[in-house]
Amino acid sequence: MNLRRIGLLMWKEVLQLSRDKMMLPLIFLMPVMQLIMFGYVVGADVTNIRTVIVDQDHTVMSRDITEAFSASGYFKIVDRLDSEDDVQPAIDEGTAMVAVLLPPGMERDIASGEQVPLEVIVDGSDSKTASVASGYAAQVVASYERERLTALGAVPDGPGIDARVRVLFNPSLRSVNAMIPGLVAMILMLSVSAIMSQAVVRERERGTLEQLFVTPIGRAEYVIGKVVPYVGIAIIQTLSVMVVGVLWFQVPFYGTAWIMALGLLLFLFTGIGQGLIISMISNTRHQAQQTTMFILIPTMVLSGFIFPIESMPAAIQPLTYFIPMRYILVIARSNAMKGAGMSALWPQFVAMAVFAIVVFGFGISRFRKQLAD
Amino acid sequence: MMSLLRRIAAVTRKEFIHIRRDPRMLASILVLPVIQLLLFSYAISFDVTDVPTVILDQDRSAESRDYLASFEHSEFFRVVDHIESDVEADRAFDTGSAKVAVIIRPGFADAIARGDKADVAVLIDGSEPNSAQLGRAYASALSSTQDRQILVGWAESRGMDVTSMGSLSPQIRTWYNPDRRSADFLIPGLMVVIIMIVTIQQTAVSLVKERDQGTFEQLTVSPIRRGELMVGKVLPWLILAFVETAVIVAVGVLLFGVPLRGSVLALALGSVLFVFSSLAIGLLISARASSVEFANMAGLLVSFLPGFMLSGFAFSLESIPPALQFISYLFPGRYMVVIARSVFLKGADVATVLPQLGALLVYALVSLTLASFAYSRRL
Amino acid sequence: MSFFKRKIELEPPAPSAPGVAVSVQGLSKRFGDFVAVDGVSFEVGAGEIFGFLGPNGSGKTTTIRMLCGTIAPSGGGARVLGLDVAGDAEAVRARIGYMSQKFSLFEDLTVDENLRFYGGVYGLDGERFAARREYILKMADLVGREGELARNLSVGWKQRLALGCAIIHEPELVFLDEPTSGVDPLARKDFWELLYELAASGVTLFVTTHYMDEAANCSRLAFIYRGDIIAIGTPEDIRVREMHDEIFEVESSDVDAILTALEADEDVQEVYLSGALLHVNMGSGGNAAERLDAAIVRADLPGTSATSIEPSIEDVFVHLVTRERSERGVI
Repeated sequence: MNLRRIGLLMWKEVLQLSRDKMMLPLIFLMPVMQLIMFGYVVGADVTNIRTVIVDQDHTVMSRDITEAFSASGYFKIVDRLDSEDDVQPAIDEGTAMVAVLLPPGMERDIASGEQVPLEVIVDGSDSKTASVASGYAAQVVASYERERLTALGAVPDGPGIDARVRVLFNPSLRSVNAMIPGLVAMILMLSVSAIMSQAVVRERERGTLEQLFVTPIGRAEYVIGKVVPYVGIAIIQTLSVMVVGVLWFQVPFYGTAWIMALGLLLFLFTGIGQGLIISMISNTRHQAQQTTMFILIPTMVLSGFIFPIESMPAAIQPLTYFIPMRYILVIARSNAMKGAGMSALWPQFVAMAVFAIVVFGFGISRFRKQLAD
Repeated sequence: MMSLLRRIAAVTRKEFIHIRRDPRMLASILVLPVIQLLLFSYAISFDVTDVPTVILDQDRSAESRDYLASFEHSEFFRVVDHIESDVEADRAFDTGSAKVAVIIRPGFADAIARGDKADVAVLIDGSEPNSAQLGRAYASALSSTQDRQILVGWAESRGMDVTSMGSLSPQIRTWYNPDRRSADFLIPGLMVVIIMIVTIQQTAVSLVKERDQGTFEQLTVSPIRRGELMVGKVLPWLILAFVETAVIVAVGVLLFGVPLRGSVLALALGSVLFVFSSLAIGLLISARASSVEFANMAGLLVSFLPGFMLSGFAFSLESIPPALQFISYLFPGRYMVVIARSVFLKGADVATVLPQLGALLVYALVSLTLASFAYSRRL
Repeated sequence: MSFFKRKIELEPPAPSAPGVAVSVQGLSKRFGDFVAVDGVSFEVGAGEIFGFLGPNGSGKTTTIRMLCGTIAPSGGGARVLGLDVAGDAEAVRARIGYMSQKFSLFEDLTVDENLRFYGGVYGLDGERFAARREYILKMADLVGREGELARNLSVGWKQRLALGCAIIHEPELVFLDEPTSGVDPLARKDFWELLYELAASGVTLFVTTHYMDEAANCSRLAFIYRGDIIAIGTPEDIRVREMHDEIFEVESSDVDAILTALEADEDVQEVYLSGALLHVNMGSGGNAAERLDAAIVRADLPGTSATSIEPSIEDVFVHLVTRERSERGVI
């Protein structure tokens, strides 16, 4: 192991990176762009659901109900329609996702003690918004009912339930808070596996890899010289995500630095191993890219990064245990948001360590073997 | 004219040979979309169900059991444990074994008997905002319903005739997708994402790769004209993108039972314009990219971020900031998602999606023009 | 741990005699079922320009890579500069230079940065590097262009810069794998001048090429075909030993027609294009000129003339390959 040669390899790598005038800005812009998109788009709290009211009753009660929907903050009344027939076009054109139908004679019928159905039509083509909207609608109607009964003086101050639904760890339900720990892991993986494998494969395409191995440069030296610059980039990216997260999105951090760092380090080794494997089985950068995509998509979907694992079908859930990102996500989120420590996270750490050893070990052995044949 | 077609055919044939020679490329074109389709359709679900829930009942009364039964019967919550102390709740959150804790303190039944409000604490782990949000909505709705029932029961026990006061009961009807099946929601949009990923990824490197390998100087000295080269290079992807669209529609309808209610013509028109627009984006990247690496990363970024995040395919764009709203309109995915979803689920015809078709037409024309300018400049 | 280390234990090769730069002893390499190199043995003397010839895929590059210690042999062994390539690969690599047909420069680094990188890799200190850098810039005619990106150099300059990088540490032995492919004839000639200079200074050169005219520039040659050495010696030796056939150069107004006609003629052993001209091998059966004339008459193509010539290395090569093919029953 010769430090001077490792230094030279790193110097060369950084020079090459700096020569690609578009790549370098992209490398540093990418995490911030991802952060903004993930932060704002994924799990953006469903509010202001576009709603139309079909008020055929025109009474105090119908106006009160309309007001209750609008005051809830979840529904944004975009239009008041006169007829039920107008609902379909409004939903088809996408101007509304929810329609609340207040039937004629509603106030009178209720006053005479009838049970009056209040129809809420929800556009099911967006299944998530539909679920949220129906939950909120039920809640709005239920609390309106209670108020009405109380106001009528019939049930002056009866018993009931005061449910205090509290969201822990992330009370404002801001998705950025949950996204940043996951993004850090994602970006680490992209840098050391996607970007680095491109750099190794380019060297093979150009023949410089072959050239390097007829010089005294050893394989270990090459791997270190190649990996360190990309780890450096990954660290800078991670820091920039954290800075933007803390300063711009004001994401709190309740975790322990060393637990976070240890988890990310284990994940980093997995990522490096993965990058080496990709570069060994790819002859062109395009192939390396395809292989990266092959890994990236299941990682995004099955790790729980965007979609919660427990809601996946039972048949799919076992697959998620093979996705290393699954474990680092639990570590990063639980640590950063809940302050969870080793006593809670050790199973994930064991899994991360196993992945780090197996994937990194396989990557290195594959690297040696490839070059020995 | 004949020789023009022949030259284009020659380039196209060459591209097809490249594709055929490279098993991984072939796999990534043919297999990857299918994997994506299955993965997304099976694994992604917004029907958040079975959220692991622990229950701490310190009151142990008939009333508290009644209340908690509503959680046990809900599809949303899955009661995984009855715990004894607050510490256990903390621990369940820390290890992630539960995401919701319902806590009833002693005195719950007494409060109701007194005619007071009985306290219940529902704690929700907010580290996954998506399910937490739904959890909050469901827990509140459950409690409101319980609240009302207790009140009615109490009033009746005092001889009041609550039913005489009438009642308002919400009846929620879900149109187009009554079961709110995620597959129905996702598959039409998935078409958009997969096509964007495949075409942009592939075309983004097309030109810059030839330049990198030096093969393209060879092409520039041949009698092939620039426009022909571009058409020839793009044609295979155009064909593949159409095949993929057809496969996704077929798999969606036959395997996942997604209804195709609307006009196939509208869908086909939209797809053609959308594929052209995506190809143009790929070509633009290719023409401007400084290196193969850049083209690869930029392709990845564009197909993932605007394609995946800003198309509305899975994530509602209602509540995102205006700046992102604006950006989302700069990519063709957003229009196509609306078209696909309207045609599949709402039975839309050409007239209904005319605004989106128009937008895509303009998009395709502008982006193709820009791409061909950039392309010929680069050559 | 066999999982992490895959090393096949081989007997170390016998020590090489003094004055021998490369000694190959029964070297072979298999990739799965495919035998790329099949037990070849030969020696290269110090100071020689050793030409290693063979068609594409015959095992040239595989042999060179084993000799450079980048891939491990599956059988046999070799000594390079007295060192066992399998056991002492790192020491071998420090003392040899290597230049491949791809020129393998870092295209996005400048001329100077490329030199600096390789200088550092071979552990040159500041003073020695400065001297070598100056020498190489002069040799490669790149003085004043140190700051240019390697990508922007034309092929001839790239080739010379690649040679410069390969010899920056003054190796005793340089492997050149098709160093002149894709380079125009004039630049090739210049490049060979450089190689002569190097050889004159005592450096051993191990060159593969498929340009037959370049083969004549070598002091010794080996032909490899399908993993076997089928002939070895000085160009003159090989010509005398392996070539007893008579070769004619045929000029014709219709080269294609005469080629087709002579290929079909049973009395003609081999006929092939050499540059723009047709070469005909009439075998060693005597009366060659008369037989060829008869064949031309049979072909009935007026305006065709034949001249007897000294067989070139290319003629020998074609002959050897044809002979091997027919012996092995390969078409």
